Amino acid sequence: ESHIQYERVGADVTMKCGSMDWDAAVTWTANGTDIDESHLNGSYLILKKVDLTQSGQYSCYEGSSWHLKYQTYLRVGTPPREPVLMCRSNNYPKGFYCSWHLPTPTYIPNSFNISVIHGTREMVCEKDVFPKNRCHIRYLQLFSTVKYKVTLTVTNPLGKNSTTVTFDEFAIVKPDPPESVVAKPVPNNPRRLEVSWQNPSSWPDPESFPLKFFLRYRPLILDQWQHVELSDGTSHTITDAYAGKEYIIQVAAKDNDIGTWSDWSVAVHATPWTEEPKHLTTEAQVTETTSASTSSFMPPPTTKICDKGAVVGSGAVAVCWTAGLVLAAYGVLFI
Amino acid sequence: MAAADSSSVALRRRDLCSRGIRLAGKMRSDVINLLDTYVEQQGLDASASMAVVEGVPMAAVEHWDEQTGTQRLLENLAAYRAFRALLAQMLEEQREQLGEADAALGRALAAVLLQVSAFAYHLEELLRLESRGPPSEEGAGPPPPSHLGLFERKLWGLGVLRELAQWAVRSARDLRQLTKPSLGSSLAPSPAESP
Repeated sequence: ESHIQYERVGADVTMKCGSMDWDAAVTWTANGTDIDESHLNGSYLILKKVDLTQSGQYSCYEGSSWHLKYQTYLRVGTPPREPVLMCRSNNYPKGFYCSWHLPTPTYIPNSFNISVIHGTREMVCEKDVFPKNRCHIRYLQLFSTVKYKVTLTVTNPLGKNSTTVTFDEFAIVKPDPPESVVAKPVPNNPRRLEVSWQNPSSWPDPESFPLKFFLRYRPLILDQWQHVELSDGTSHTITDAYAGKEYIIQVAAKDNDIGTWSDWSVAVHATPWTEEPKHLTTEAQVTETTSASTSSFMPPPTTKICDKGAVVGSGAVAVCWTAGLVLAAYGVLFI
Repeated sequence: MAAADSSSVALRRRDLCSRGIRLAGKMRSDVINLLDTYVEQQGLDASASMAVVEGVPMAAVEHWDEQTGTQRLLENLAAYRAFRALLAQMLEEQREQLGEADAALGRALAAVLLQVSAFAYHLEELLRLESRGPPSEEGAGPPPPSHLGLFERKLWGLGVLRELAQWAVRSARDLRQLTKPSLGSSLAPSPAESP
């Protein structure tokens, strides 16, 4: 018959060999390896100040017959410390979720129980499949001044601990960051960048519960951010960018009336439009040189496709077609 | 002609709602500032918790998203009419009991009372647009509880202001619902049609 035995780190553990007498001749193994007799007191196995490495399967065999008389799985761990609990509504006004974790691992299985009380009413927090340490609640009432009280109790075989948070409906509202942030240069405008984004998809009704936004931007070479708060719309044109400098841009969101700002969105990079650099040789010389070659090389129309400087989160920068043609012309020159 | 009338009604409704939303936002901001002043002047703990404040319309509502436009307007109007009476009472008591030392509190209370009255008017106008008209007022409304001691009255006043701040948020949301095209026709039928 196999058992599981939970012991605290640092505890002294005594294992009996089932119903064997104290003076019976036995052999103990740990994970299949014989244990030295120095750890035995008669047929009892004594483990002093156990540590995590001593977790494993312990078996006791009768001396002569090697009959398995007892087996246990020792799990060394700790009782739970006070858990960390937070609740947040990123989908207001539908509901909120609470998530938790332990500040230090216990190394043994823990179970969590959460209770949510609103006034005199106990509400059910439905556990999420993923992530595991999370549950969600649908609001039954809106605009209530009565606070919510959420208590999380964590229990394991070595002890229990709990924590409580209390909050009101508005205080925990925090949207997810804006999505699909795009920043692109504005043709023929060396100091402008056009930024656009979308409401977070988790925000269920932006029409009735509009969000406002906070945009921050800086050139990569500087540490100081510029900030702009926008009360409506999901786009903004930066008009004071430094010409030719690559910028990093982020956006955050907040319900128009209540709650706190979201985390910053994924950062996007963009560089304002710049005029094409004029190369040293004249166009006429390039045309003469290319016509001398045997290939019928004809430069296509000089339509700049420099709006490929638009990036979405990846930081890659496209090369203008016309710049490529100039380089190709130089290559022909040196053949 | 009917189409032109209904589109002018829709425009007027939209205009009233937009202005009402802005008024609700300003009102909330002023009530929150007033709350800070009130807590400080009355020597209260801002985190004091109250389950139900006697005689005060509670903003808390279930199935809020299922309410019709008319329901929203009627509930809002009843609330702001009640707050008008409650704030007038608080202002009178504050002037009588605390005198000039709390002139700033008195001015702030008076300013919020004015906004509450203006908002109630907005709601009455919106109801008139629905051919329903606002219900008549039922008199001065419930007086503040007279059995309370001085400290309890201060707490009660805190509850009034907190609930008003909550209503200001709800009202902005209610008015936004009214401006949604899908809800333009979800206003309740006229009294002649209802059971």
